[in-house]
Amino acid sequence: MSLVRTGARGVRAGSLAWHLGSLAVLAVVLYPVMWVIGGSFKPNDEIVGSLNVLPTDPITDNYRRLADGIADIPISTFFGNSLFLALASVVGVLVSSSLAAYAFAKIGFAGRNLLFTLMIGTLLLPYHVLLIPQYVLFQKLELINTYTPLLLGKYLATDAFFVFLMVQFMRGLPRELDEAARLDGCGHLRTYWSIVLPLCRPALITSAIFTFINAWNDFMGPLIYLNEPEKYTVSLGLKMFVDQDGVANYGGMIAMSLVALLPVVAFFLAFQRYLIDGMATSGLK
Amino acid sequence: MRTHGTVDRRSLLKITGGSVAALGLTAAGCGGGSDSGGDGTVTIRYTWWGSDDRAKRINQSIALFEKKFPKIKVKTDFQPYADFWKKFNTQASGGNTPDVFQNAIGFLRKYDAKNVLLDLREQVEAGNLRLEGFRAGLEKFGEVDGKLVGVPVGSNSMALVIDEAVFAKAKVTPKPGWTWDEYHDALAKIRETAGRAGDAGPYGIMYLYDLYLRQQGKAFFTASGLGFTEADLTDWWNKAAGRVESGVYADPKKTIQAKPKSAVTAELAGCEFTWDNFTVRYTSEGKSRYGLAPIPTTDGKRTGQYLGSLMLSASKRTKHPKEVAQFIDFMVHDPEVGKIMGYDRGVPATEAQNAAYVPTDEVGKQIAAYEKQLVESRVLEQITPHPAGADVCEAAFLRLSEEMSLGTRTVADAVKQYFTEAKTALSA
Repeated sequence: MSLVRTGARGVRAGSLAWHLGSLAVLAVVLYPVMWVIGGSFKPNDEIVGSLNVLPTDPITDNYRRLADGIADIPISTFFGNSLFLALASVVGVLVSSSLAAYAFAKIGFAGRNLLFTLMIGTLLLPYHVLLIPQYVLFQKLELINTYTPLLLGKYLATDAFFVFLMVQFMRGLPRELDEAARLDGCGHLRTYWSIVLPLCRPALITSAIFTFINAWNDFMGPLIYLNEPEKYTVSLGLKMFVDQDGVANYGGMIAMSLVALLPVVAFFLAFQRYLIDGMATSGLK
Repeated sequence: MRTHGTVDRRSLLKITGGSVAALGLTAAGCGGGSDSGGDGTVTIRYTWWGSDDRAKRINQSIALFEKKFPKIKVKTDFQPYADFWKKFNTQASGGNTPDVFQNAIGFLRKYDAKNVLLDLREQVEAGNLRLEGFRAGLEKFGEVDGKLVGVPVGSNSMALVIDEAVFAKAKVTPKPGWTWDEYHDALAKIRETAGRAGDAGPYGIMYLYDLYLRQQGKAFFTASGLGFTEADLTDWWNKAAGRVESGVYADPKKTIQAKPKSAVTAELAGCEFTWDNFTVRYTSEGKSRYGLAPIPTTDGKRTGQYLGSLMLSASKRTKHPKEVAQFIDFMVHDPEVGKIMGYDRGVPATEAQNAAYVPTDEVGKQIAAYEKQLVESRVLEQITPHPAGADVCEAAFLRLSEEMSLGTRTVADAVKQYFTEAKTALSA
């Protein structure tokens, strides 16, 4: 008896230490987030250089002033633009990458391996190498100051990483399913739509989450391609609060950063349960 | 599970179709940026760096302009300084620079060499742009090899921003014509009485070192290279390293940590050199009273100062040089615009705008008084060249001096590295 009890006490003490340790690490990790949340309720001169998490005298001015907009533009414009861009990117990546992946994974055509290698090779090209040639190209096509340069690539399966992810996933699906579909008279499109896509849901959800977050946070693309503040995304809008020449409005910037986080968090929370669900139910039943 | 899946995919299909269609529409709808409309209306693009506050003032000015010139529409775009130049560089390589843009002295020759800037002289001769009525010879500021590639919008000059309470406690009053020795004595006194460093560290500010060199008849740049020797810079940085060590200049570790707050408002130093029009920040950031003091001299007379300015430049590729000139003319001469812009980009460059705006705030009054004193005491000199690559030289100067002050590089190493980097930048 006594042996068991000391054993239990030992386990309990161990688990207590484990939890306290985890909480300590959590506090360190969460400190910057808490600082930002606290900072959004501080007056401007209290934000910079202060390590305090909690404001001494909380104010909501930073949030209330957001309603006035930035540079005569309501902030809902920035959010609308970002949301359009992010959702359109998600749709583009899901459709084009899954189609490309289907071809690579399920269809045997001449030069498949070479093309696949070339596609993976594009992952090695740094973004900044492509920036200027791409800009010149879109400039010649007179597509600057539209969302097309930011979206077109997404509809043409240029995100090699997502294609790769889906190819790997599709290769894991049992061949018997495609064969059964073909016996039932399915062509490639039908097999893609009715057999492969539903089974690929985890890969699709993963791609959707990453695409959404990337598009929402993208700064360089919108900076280069959009020429009117009315078309700006949230990430560009955030930069309008601070410049070396003037008095910086850190309060406004922090408040807007927090608001800007909400859609990303919401999107992740909405889809992550499918992610887990998908992994548990994929494959043969 | 299955029905759920089907519905998802069907609606997905609809969204896809919709968004592909939308993509096509946007592509078809918004081609071409600055073309003339059917009724003779012309649209010009105007870009600048700055933030929210400047944007509001500029929007108001443009509303006035469009009322007076109903056939010209102005579209604006703005970013913070660093992002502005990233974007501008990309646009320049694509041949898609905005019709009018904000410019600074360090970029004039760079973009003139790249054939980006329009010579506005022709428009001056055509009577679309007036060069009369500028203060203190500022109209010469935007000239490169006889070409007019920039029109000044507001003047500024280097100044010493001081924490007045700290200077009073140390019983130091900076006077025009004070010397570097007197300045360093003052810093030592501040260190004793206020318990903080005297200066935030002047050794990394290229424009201040330029003044120091000009006081000795040299300059930071010649038309094609550096106007000082390795020995000059070694001397400047050696002395600085000693003063950081002894605490006369602030500890760079602390000032870097305090960023973006300035070392003066963070109460780490009693004063620092900066552009006079940047001083607006100090009062809003710090708790003390802040004032502007004259630049120390070598011989008791020459400060080496000149009036600098932000400029408006036009793009060589603009299809509407006349309208662009009319717009620049309006922005620099119109008194109403002067009232709206205030001292946002320095003291207005033209007499008309300067007379129209009388600062009512403490900081504005100080800046006005400081520049008035500069003009009246006749210390202002001609500006020396800023060759292509000057912007890269400035950034390297700041970075290497910081590494030197932190002790991560020896002075000798930093000087050597600086000359290597500057030569590459200036020959490119």
